[in-house]
Amino acid sequence: MSKHTEEIQKLKSKQQLKWVGKSVKRIDGPEKVTGEQKYKTDLKFPDMVWGKVLRATYPYAKIRAIDTTKAEAHPEVVCVLTHKDIPGFNGFGIVTPDQPVLCEDIVRCTGDAVALVAAETMEAAEEAIKLIEVDYEPLDPVIDAESAMIQGAPRLHPDGNIHSHVTIENGDIEKGFEEADYIFENTFYSPRQMHAFIETEGGWGIMEKDGSLTIHCPAQYGHRDKLQIARALALNPERIHVYSSPNGGGFGGKDEITVQIYLALLAMNTGGRPVKIHLSREESVIAGIKRHSFKVTVKTGAKKDGTLIANKVRAVADTGAYASLGGAVTALAVEHASGPYKIPNVDMEGFCVYTNNGIAGAFRGFGVNQVCVGIETHIDMLAEKTGLDPIEIRKKNAYRQGELSSLGHVVGSSVGTIETLEKAKESDLWINRDLYKSQGSEPWKKKGVAVATSFHGVGMGLGTPDYGAATIELLEDGRFKVGVAIEEIGTGNGTVYAQVAAEVLRCNVDDIVVVQGDTKETLDSGTISASRSTYTGGRAIATAAPNMISLLTEAAAEILEVPNADIELADNKLIVAGDENSFVNYKQIYNKLYEKHQTTRVEGHFYLPREKEELKNSGGAPHHLYGYMTHVVMVEVDTLTGETEVLHVVAIPDVGKVLNPQGLEGQSEGGAVMGIGYTLYEDTLIEGGYHKTKNFTDYIIPTIRETPIIETIPVESNEETGPFGAKGIAEVVMIPIIPAIMAAIYDATGARINHLPATPERIYQAIQATKKQTLVSR
Amino acid sequence: MKKIHFKVNGEELSVTCPPAKTLLDVLRDEFDLTGSKECCGKGECGSCTVLIDGKSVCSCLVLAGQAENASITTVEGVGLIGKMDVLQEAFSDEGATQCGYCTPGFIVSARAFLDSIDYIPTDDEIKTALGGNLCRCTGYTKIIKAVQTAARKQYATEETVV
Repeated sequence: MSKHTEEIQKLKSKQQLKWVGKSVKRIDGPEKVTGEQKYKTDLKFPDMVWGKVLRATYPYAKIRAIDTTKAEAHPEVVCVLTHKDIPGFNGFGIVTPDQPVLCEDIVRCTGDAVALVAAETMEAAEEAIKLIEVDYEPLDPVIDAESAMIQGAPRLHPDGNIHSHVTIENGDIEKGFEEADYIFENTFYSPRQMHAFIETEGGWGIMEKDGSLTIHCPAQYGHRDKLQIARALALNPERIHVYSSPNGGGFGGKDEITVQIYLALLAMNTGGRPVKIHLSREESVIAGIKRHSFKVTVKTGAKKDGTLIANKVRAVADTGAYASLGGAVTALAVEHASGPYKIPNVDMEGFCVYTNNGIAGAFRGFGVNQVCVGIETHIDMLAEKTGLDPIEIRKKNAYRQGELSSLGHVVGSSVGTIETLEKAKESDLWINRDLYKSQGSEPWKKKGVAVATSFHGVGMGLGTPDYGAATIELLEDGRFKVGVAIEEIGTGNGTVYAQVAAEVLRCNVDDIVVVQGDTKETLDSGTISASRSTYTGGRAIATAAPNMISLLTEAAAEILEVPNADIELADNKLIVAGDENSFVNYKQIYNKLYEKHQTTRVEGHFYLPREKEELKNSGGAPHHLYGYMTHVVMVEVDTLTGETEVLHVVAIPDVGKVLNPQGLEGQSEGGAVMGIGYTLYEDTLIEGGYHKTKNFTDYIIPTIRETPIIETIPVESNEETGPFGAKGIAEVVMIPIIPAIMAAIYDATGARINHLPATPERIYQAIQATKKQTLVSR
Repeated sequence: MKKIHFKVNGEELSVTCPPAKTLLDVLRDEFDLTGSKECCGKGECGSCTVLIDGKSVCSCLVLAGQAENASITTVEGVGLIGKMDVLQEAFSDEGATQCGYCTPGFIVSARAFLDSIDYIPTDDEIKTALGGNLCRCTGYTKIIKAVQTAARKQYATEETVV
């Protein structure tokens, strides 16, 4: 047992947790509710100029020439920049830097940037952008992922259109299907969901007098953004400082570079004047990454007794013009495509394919949203065929901790699937579902209740660095400054960091000052993504804490003139063991360390635990840790119009120990509503490579009116490696609700929807189709 | 350019700007009242909500000239740290804010709503009143609760005063 685990076990066993597990209020709440919090796009600097990006006119075209003469002649223009002005590598991308900063000879989507302008006013920048003349030779765009895979399709990138191909095989799939009593095979289509964070991409670039570069930009991994900026600009990364927190929403959409490199490039060309870019919603829709739309074909074999015996999956993801995290999304989709089950024979593959349909990248759920519907729908079909209970089938097939997963690996971390399913079965909504269903509001409105379960990896998996780091500094006033680079994007991770720090240092939560998203003051601790920030940041703080306690102990021993071993940590002070009256407080300790010119700052580093062996060709599977979740939902479908409302959601997450119940509920409620949007309303429509969706006028996200009753009932499986037993939450909360809503629509109407979003038109037509079938069979 | 006069959060202010500049831009650029946010610029999301003579409007859809001589209340006028409004306290206490970018708009809309009633509103009434404000983080559940908590507090205080 590590020192960390020992310390935490000691605290837990004594049941003396003071902050962890409590609904501690958000430390940044007051700033947010008064509007006093300054987001990066709220900042102001004197003598500023406005930056603007020229986007491509066509989704796929050759650039013959770019003429900036007229724009440069505009009296209020400060600079006009093209690919020629990029001092370093003209590309970016988290894994494969295949996206040009500024396009040189080809554009591959309408979000492509061709030129930049800085001008005295926003209006002048807009005018100047229009004065740039680009001579294009339009080409026929590739608008469908499967067509892009065919030989002879136009090659969008030198290596062809298949960015990645991943596979996971286990057992003998043919034998599995031979042994099956039932086989289900269906194809599912998923929407190109938009993150729709409320703060669009934007920020500031400033070339400081000392030649260093400052970037203020809401983002999800400032330390990595710094490296991507440095690569494009041929700068020393140590001379770039990125401030990336707070964010007005991320959800994965600010994981990739957004405008940071443009800001940096402009700042190098404005003679030291700060430059601001803030995308309009329309530009954000076109240029920002989206969720990958998938086509997933799933064939599932099962026995009469409800045992799942074979699962074959083929997933094709449309990553648009550039890879971003498309390869990783596809890999995660394949890893999760057989659910949290122990299916002995699986054969799964995924393709990540380039098209000219905008750009896709990271988004909460990261590929699992798209694949979970196949296996969950087939389990419901199996339940109907066999007459078995859908919850019992899931329980029967779910792996427990220590058992083999469908991937064939022993799952060593905590697993709560069965407990979440049991809680679902005990829920009032499930027990009384027939009663609720009989209480329709109108004769033509039908209610349905259904359940689904799923899981989601926590952390990066294999093949990608995954580490955490934290600093703790004793301040002059006796408080502690806790630095974790992982940004605040709305999740409240900063509050959790303060709770963990206060718990391990035995001080008040108000005595913790948290610094996030600041590359100058914090150590690289990885991304705010992959449901990893509570786990990673929490562990990093818990790793740094013993170092701080040692520092405090030594100073206290010196002040109190006793050996180190006699010093004990008490609430808000250090005491001589057994004598509450002989103590020193943190302020006294600071003074002592200051006198001795000793640093008051310590660090804590750790690597996330991982599996020993990567499954061949899997792109990083398996993960060591997973969060698990079951949703029960009730919908009401208007059978005359197809309009569907989600009325009630029971959300049952297993995310290990809950560190802040209020924060967990917030994630659960937000995830449920985002899952409703995904399933029923949301899709970024692109036709012929052009966005038909422009703004929130035609991209409908759920409003407060669509909010159902949401109950969150956590199951706390203790994860031994986590901070106080915690895992991660942010993604799994929007996953099982998707197949659960689809199944509830079926329960209400007898219509199965395989093409999301389940719009009223699609539901109406599916209902009509069920009626036709009945007529034919008569 | 035109000199335009407003009363903003109780303070008499004037600005010289093109009359077609939006009220939102005036508040943010000229008065540094950045609590009001631009998110869609089309009146769809409510992040820029302010009160004009007590009525909640999207300030991205109002031109500065249209608001001449009007009394404008922004989120900063509803309350600041140290002297927060009951709604702000309830939103903060109950986790009704996550990324917080939409929160000022919700606070202003909810303030106008609570000013128009004198009872604890039902879920459905709150849903109607705040139907024009979009939030992508919270799933709205805690917002509904926070508005009810604030109403309860406000109602209790008012009763005591009377």
